[in-house]
Parts: sequence; structure tokens; C-alpha cells
Amino acid sequence: MHKLKLTSSALELNLTEVEKRIRRFIKEYVENAGAEGIVLGLSGGIDSSTTAAISSLSIGGDRVTGLMLPEKETYNSKDINDAKFVAKKFGLKSQVCDITPVLEGFYKTIPIFDQADKLCKGNIKARTRMIYLYYYANKLKKIVCGSSDKSETMMGYFTKWGDVAADISPLMDLYKTQVRKLAEHMGIPPELAAKPATPALWPNQLAETELGIKYETLDLILYGLERFMTTEEIAQQLSVRKTLIEKVKSRWLAVEHKRRLPLTPKLEYRTVGTDFRLPRHTY
Amino acid sequence: MKKKVKLALAQISSKREDKKANLQKIEEFTVKAKEQGADLVIFPELSLTGYVLHDQVYELAEVIPGPSTKTIEDLAKKTETHIIFGMPELSEKTKATIFNTAVFVGPNGFIGKFRKMYLPTHSVFEEKRYFRPGYQPVAFNTPVGNVGLFICYDIFFPEVCRLTRLKGAKLMVCISASPAVRRSYFEILTAARALENTAFLAYVNLAGVEDGLQFWGGSRLVSPTGDLLAKAKYDEEDLVICEVDYNDMRPAETFIPTLRDLRPELFDQLKKHSETL
Repeated sequence: MHKLKLTSSALELNLTEVEKRIRRFIKEYVENAGAEGIVLGLSGGIDSSTTAAISSLSIGGDRVTGLMLPEKETYNSKDINDAKFVAKKFGLKSQVCDITPVLEGFYKTIPIFDQADKLCKGNIKARTRMIYLYYYANKLKKIVCGSSDKSETMMGYFTKWGDVAADISPLMDLYKTQVRKLAEHMGIPPELAAKPATPALWPNQLAETELGIKYETLDLILYGLERFMTTEEIAQQLSVRKTLIEKVKSRWLAVEHKRRLPLTPKLEYRTVGTDFRLPRHTY
Repeated sequence: MKKKVKLALAQISSKREDKKANLQKIEEFTVKAKEQGADLVIFPELSLTGYVLHDQVYELAEVIPGPSTKTIEDLAKKTETHIIFGMPELSEKTKATIFNTAVFVGPNGFIGKFRKMYLPTHSVFEEKRYFRPGYQPVAFNTPVGNVGLFICYDIFFPEVCRLTRLKGAKLMVCISASPAVRRSYFEILTAARALENTAFLAYVNLAGVEDGLQFWGGSRLVSPTGDLLAKAKYDEEDLVICEVDYNDMRPAETFIPTLRDLRPELFDQLKKHSETL
């Protein structure tokens, strides 16, 4: 549990136990919420495939709705086929909604819309997918299950109120490389588990290229930071430049705003987001 | 005092903030345990209210004895059993000073209580934010034996357990709300505390999930030589009936004479050095 030697074995998990704990978490949450089931996005990537698989194993595939939400700029038939494969293998219901017309509506009607700013434009895609997921959840009396992992959550590599928006995020305490192992453990084919990650905000966008680091290294750096190791210790153990560790650390700390409720000034007796501490009820 | 006592490890999952539902469950488990011959039924830490309470603890805490303990006293009388359970205790002298307390009742009413001494405030725990610590280890001489009480994180501090033993406890009862990531620590410490004190140790943990925190269950009875005599299921609710045979203590104490070999002068050193950590 507290192995401080930064090799790939530090990230090893008892996958049977982890799968059991996540399944129990999902099942209890859905039951306590009185929900009919789960809605999730199915991109054909490893995180959403794993979320779909474990959701189906937790509550039965017939109660899980997987939405494929392609759009023309990032359309990739392999992703759609992979998503369909996962839906079939784990017995969940799936539906395809082409979000292109909705996106074009945004592009046309936002007066300051800038076609060249691919990040702002890409974020519209992530937030539009969120709206579809929540529409289905509302309509079908289900909850939205997110697929964010710990690596991207720590790095803030997600769209605020976009892909991260969900009622539960059962993989958020697992690093990307751990998600891949869990995926294989649950029967997702290795080639799908090893597929390069992409948020699909623009064509040919690759997570590792954008982050500037391989997940195998990033996960070990984050593992060290999580355990209060100094940047010097991490750099020495991984034989990488200290500046790289510092860069990762600064980014991790700088994006805490993306992981919290909006901040408000402390004016009254108890304040939402700070000292208003209430148990979370799902029922 | 009975030489052999039947214990029920009542590993329940509590419904948070719902004392009525939990009292009902405590009654169901007690009745079921009694049907199987139990003399003492043990429920987990904060089993009356659930563990993850945050600010709601101010609404849920009660004085002891108080309405909830009265209900459980009546249950103990009706079923002629002894019952140990956990609840947030409001100080009689203040309006918002709360303790994390274990309550002990029997067929003749209220026996006593123990206020948790070590309040975890790290990782997912924030007990010092809400609770005042207790100051006294306790042991109660009852028809089911001399019973020492402590709660969860107290088990990490051998002196709490040792003091219950030195006060006469032969059965040490640890009620708990331990999340799954800490399971291995408790599996080691329950055996160690029983062995080093050559006394029985009953550990009763919560089951279920509260706010993402998964309690691992795994309640158990450990012998004075550290052996596992009974064990409840991991993670799920369970009711395990097991037996404490106090006759087993003498051979254990002679084989492992830790109490005979106690060195009181070391405790002075312990005090001195812990003050200067």
C-alpha cells in the first residue's frame, strides 16, 4: 500500500479486490439513489469502455445505457466499432447520437465564436456530450456515471463541467495505467486497453502528446506526489529531470479549481464548499 | 460470572442519520442472536447513527443515558441479553460537546460507557473536528465477564487496551468503523492486542458504504493466544455467534506470561519520552 519505490510494481493492485470494491460502490449507489440504472458516454476509449464494463457487471447490462456521441471533425469508425464491441460484450444498451448539428448551432450563434481556437471549440464538444448524457439520465430516471481516471483528474486534463460532469466517477481513484490493467482483468481485449487516449476535442488529438509525457512515467510521478515525496526524490528514482517533475507538480496544484465547487467569499455562519459539511445522501 | 459466554458479533450496516431504522435493526439482530443463545450482542462504532455524519452529528448526539439508550436498555431487559453499541454522546453540561461513545447495557439496565480516546483526524477521518476525546480506559465487571471497551483507532495505541486489562478485563471489546483500505492493519492489531494481553478480543466492524467509504466488516473473536476463533464475512452484514471460554485464559497466561513480566518503570520512561517527541 505504501510502497515508495517508484517502479511499475508500485502501481500494481489486487485487481479482483478492486473490481469487487468498485462494483459494490456502483451497485449500492444506484440502489440508494432509487435510480433505474446508469447512463454513460461510450467513446471507444479505454476509460469509457472500462466504466461501461464495470457498470454492466455491477447492475446488469440491461440497466446501462451507453451513448456514442460522435461529431464529424473527430469521427473515427474504429472508435465507434470499439464502443459497439464493448456494448455487445457486456450486454449494455447503446445508442448513437450525432452531435454535429448541435455543435454547428453553437458555432453559428455564438457572436464571438473563433474557429481557430481549437481548445474553446473542443470544450463545447465535451459540454454538449454532457448535456446529452444528462438528458438521457433525467428522462430515463438514471444516474450519469463518469469515466475520469486519476491521472487526468490530477492533471486537470478534462473540460470543466464537460467530460468530468457525472453523479459518480468510479475510476477516479485509479491511474490510467491501472485502468488499463483493470480493463484487461475484466476481459477487455489488450489492443483496446492499450489504445492511445484522446479526449476527441479535435482531430488527431492525443493525450500523451499534449501532456508531453507517457502515462507510465506520469503515473509514477503522480503516485510519488500523492505520497508526499519531494520532487528531488521522484526525479532521482525515475532518472528524469527535476524540471519535469516540477512541471507536473505545478500543473497538479494549479488546477484544483477544476476539481472543486465554485469558490465564494466567506460571509456567513456556514458556507457552501468550505465549512458547510453535510453527508451526501443518495436516497 | 459465567465461565463460558456466547457472543454475537452483530456486523450491521447502519442507515445514516436514521436512528429509528438503526434501532429497529439493532432489535432484529439482538432477537436473532438471542434465539441462537447469545449472552452478549456487540454492534459497531456509531451504529446508532452511521459513521459519516459531518455537521449532522450535532443533531444526532444524545446524552447517555438518554432516549436511545433507554430503548436499548428495554431491549436488553426484554431479551435478557447484554448489548454493546456505539453512538454520538452529547455532554450533559454543554450544548455541543460530543463524544464518540460505546454504550454497555444489560438485563438490569445501563452498565457503563466508554468515550473514544484517540480520534483519527487524517486521511478521510475528521473526528477531532467534532468529538472531544475521552480520558478513561474502562472495564466493567458483569455477569458476562469483566469487559473492557475501546473504539477503532484506540487499537493502534496498546496502552488503551493494556489499561483495560490491568483494570481486570478478560474480554476486550473493540467496536469499529474501519474502511477497507485499512483492513490489513486491523487484522494484525486485533491479533496482537489479544496476544500481548492474553485476553479475548472481540472486534466488531461496520459493513456497508457511506459517502464512498466502504467498511470492510470482518468482525472477529480472537483468543488469548491470538488465534482467530470466529470471523464474520468481509464487507456484508453478518451475525456470527461464538463462544468465549474463560477457562482458556490460565493456560494462555502461563504459556505467554506478559502480565507477570510487565515492567512498570518503563511506563515512566514512555511518559517522559512521549512528551518530547
